[in-house]
Amino acid sequence: MEQLNITNGLPAIGGEQKGSLETIQYIVIRLGAEQYGIDIRYIDNIVRMQKITRVPKVPEYLRGVINLRGEVIPVMSLRLKMNLPADEYSKSTRIIILKLEQQGNIGVIVDQVNEVVTLTPNEIEKIAYDNKEGKVNFINGVGKYKGELISLLDLNTVTLDENV
Amino acid sequence: MDVSQYLEIFLDETKEHLQNLNTQILALEADSESMDTVNEIFRAAHSLKGMAGTMGYKRMQNLTHDMENVFSEVRNGNIKVKPEMIDVLFQCLDALEEYNNNIQETADEGTNDNEPLIKQLNDILNSKKAEEAPAPKKKTSKKSAAKDVGQEADVPKWYDIAFDSSQLRVMKAAMKQGKNVYGINVVVQDTCILKAARAFLVFKSIEEKGEIIVSVPSAQDVEDERFDKDFTLVVISENSVEEVIKAAENVSEIAEVTGAAIELEKTKNYQPIDDDDVPTKDVVTASGVATVDEKKAKGPEKKQTPGKPIVNRTVRVDIEKLDVLMNLVSELIIAKNSLVSASGQEQSVNSGFNEQIEYLESVTTNLHESVMKVRMVPIESVVNKFPRMIRDLSKTLDKKMELYMTGEETELDRTVVDEIGDPLMHLLRNSADHGLESAEVREQRGKSPTGSIFLDAYQDGNNVVIEVRDDGNGIDVEGVKKKAIERNVITPEQAANMSEKDAINLLFLPSFSTAKKVTDVSGRGVGLDVVRSKIESLSGEVEVKTKLGEGSTWTIRLPLTLAIIQALMVVVGGEKYAISLGSIQTIEDISPSEIKLVQNEEVIHLRGTVIPLVRLSKVLDIESTKSADENLVVVIVKKGDKLAGLVIDDLIGQQEIVIKSLGKYMKQCKFISGATILGDGEVALIIDANALI
Repeated sequence: MEQLNITNGLPAIGGEQKGSLETIQYIVIRLGAEQYGIDIRYIDNIVRMQKITRVPKVPEYLRGVINLRGEVIPVMSLRLKMNLPADEYSKSTRIIILKLEQQGNIGVIVDQVNEVVTLTPNEIEKIAYDNKEGKVNFINGVGKYKGELISLLDLNTVTLDENV
Repeated sequence: MDVSQYLEIFLDETKEHLQNLNTQILALEADSESMDTVNEIFRAAHSLKGMAGTMGYKRMQNLTHDMENVFSEVRNGNIKVKPEMIDVLFQCLDALEEYNNNIQETADEGTNDNEPLIKQLNDILNSKKAEEAPAPKKKTSKKSAAKDVGQEADVPKWYDIAFDSSQLRVMKAAMKQGKNVYGINVVVQDTCILKAARAFLVFKSIEEKGEIIVSVPSAQDVEDERFDKDFTLVVISENSVEEVIKAAENVSEIAEVTGAAIELEKTKNYQPIDDDDVPTKDVVTASGVATVDEKKAKGPEKKQTPGKPIVNRTVRVDIEKLDVLMNLVSELIIAKNSLVSASGQEQSVNSGFNEQIEYLESVTTNLHESVMKVRMVPIESVVNKFPRMIRDLSKTLDKKMELYMTGEETELDRTVVDEIGDPLMHLLRNSADHGLESAEVREQRGKSPTGSIFLDAYQDGNNVVIEVRDDGNGIDVEGVKKKAIERNVITPEQAANMSEKDAINLLFLPSFSTAKKVTDVSGRGVGLDVVRSKIESLSGEVEVKTKLGEGSTWTIRLPLTLAIIQALMVVVGGEKYAISLGSIQTIEDISPSEIKLVQNEEVIHLRGTVIPLVRLSKVLDIESTKSADENLVVVIVKKGDKLAGLVIDDLIGQQEIVIKSLGKYMKQCKFISGATILGDGEVALIIDANALI
């Protein structure tokens, strides 16, 4: 089901013929020591860290808004959203602008952008949905790539805002 | 025939015709004898029928056809206008509107045949037929047709044209040169929906064959569709008359083209002109020039401008294209602002640079104004459906009332106009239902039995004010309080201390209705709170003034435009914020010793008014950079009659800003109405002063 959801209605990226062999490209980012993958089809843009204008009275993980070529885009901290220690901005900090149908564009702050990987369904291991402890699960799968593990972010959960 | 490309025009024109019919039928109700009105109605119904037919909307065509029949009988004096008939006609209009809405949504008219209506229409027709001899309707139509034919057969139309001497001279010169001068009469088909466009094509194709020197009606009138179904041209051409006629006939939807060479002697005011002394060759070139000059010199008043039709003076533009243009202007203003701020930083820049920046500034300001003006539309399009609504209300509520409107031409930004209709309708219904008393009560109170509702719109500075006023009962403040206590909105103690104004404001709470019974018209308690939230979402405000027994006035105040505003830039805790200049009253320098405490709230006493202070640093969760003993910079803002003083750290200055939405994520913050991009690319938030009062 998970895989079906991912490829649902969207053209296969990677040009494989058969549906079951469709590959998905992920951008690999780093948050702390862990590597995460973001489905490239939802990425509009990657920009350098810039001045974020704070917006009062919003949840802490919403860091504020930035000016992206004349558009005002909200920016959230992926770390704070996932209950990790707060960001420390460095030279490699980037804002990934995601384009989402429902919520519009939103930027997420990541420590570093590493590379683009192409994963086949065989290389993706689904994670059983585990919501016992009341914790929100931000990951919908784990990709195995060259001996490394990449946690695949479930963008719907990540960008879900209780107030939207 | 593929008509989809005309769909938009069809919808627009249908709306116009329906609105026209509404207005005219109302007028007819007031004055059932007016022949002008009847003729106007007949014309509108006829065009509607033709348009619907061409587009293949059979049901719509049937209904309009039957309506047209009724009007035609009225026009011939065979039927008298009766109130029942007016009612039926209004129902027909509603049905037509429904068709139109269906078409707009699905490109299909729907399946409602509206047979009862058609039957009613036929009953009207038959009732008369029963009374009188068989209808002379067919006869008249035949007669008029015969008249048309007769006219055409008689003398060719071009001989009816009164040529002036210069036109005659041109024709004569052309003849001398061996060119032919033809009179051409073009008749467009009855069903043609784009007469002007067809005429334009005829003009164009004839011009390929020769030069059009005279057009009756004038080219301008033809383009504006101010002709019945035919127009007459005088053409100078080297080609044969058949070729010219063929060129015109090739345009589709042209019914008939007749033409022949003109014999100058037969023209109306022919006088032999003595032009022998002018060499022929010169005349021709000169004649060309002469007509052009004439065009320029005589211009609009003569309107007999021959030659190439000028492009229409109005253009329909997709609103999205305008939005794009508006966005580009916004970008330009941002870029201009950044240039201004860059020039401010560099001390060494020469004066020439500054001059150019100032020039750029004035150009962008003018450009912005022009684009804004393009987006402005008169509120007429919204308010002209209200007379009809009030008439219907008058019937359903069984109260006599009149609506008086002024200022329909007042212009507002299109986005605002689209949204303002519903709130206004609520207020009018409210006035009609709750405000106005029944005729008996009115008479007891010494008022005219017919209630009056006024809708006035006017511009006031950077705002547009729309007032809905009635001379009815006014708001019963005690009644409102009682109801509020019943509903547990307030306690009896609160009610006792409540000012009249606060009590009236209770009306704007959700689910608060003072109507004793729920009627079709109002009383469900979803009116005024919707009105207020809608108006506030448009950055406007609504106020009510009332006097028991004498009536109430609802005042809506709206900004002229939403996209670009003048704002005051301020600094709070090191962050930049913008406050709309529209809500700012004054800026004051206040010493800390002037701050007093009332009920533990900070206030200042300023020129006889007590004004509560709002420390923006607290509201915005940020540390003020000023120490407590320094003088405060206070921006006094106004919302209706209420004032508040916003304490800020520092002023930057006035600036034109482009409002951008913060998006869904940041919506929780009620007092931030949006964001703007400053000259240096930074984002500054816009403080909604109204939300802080």
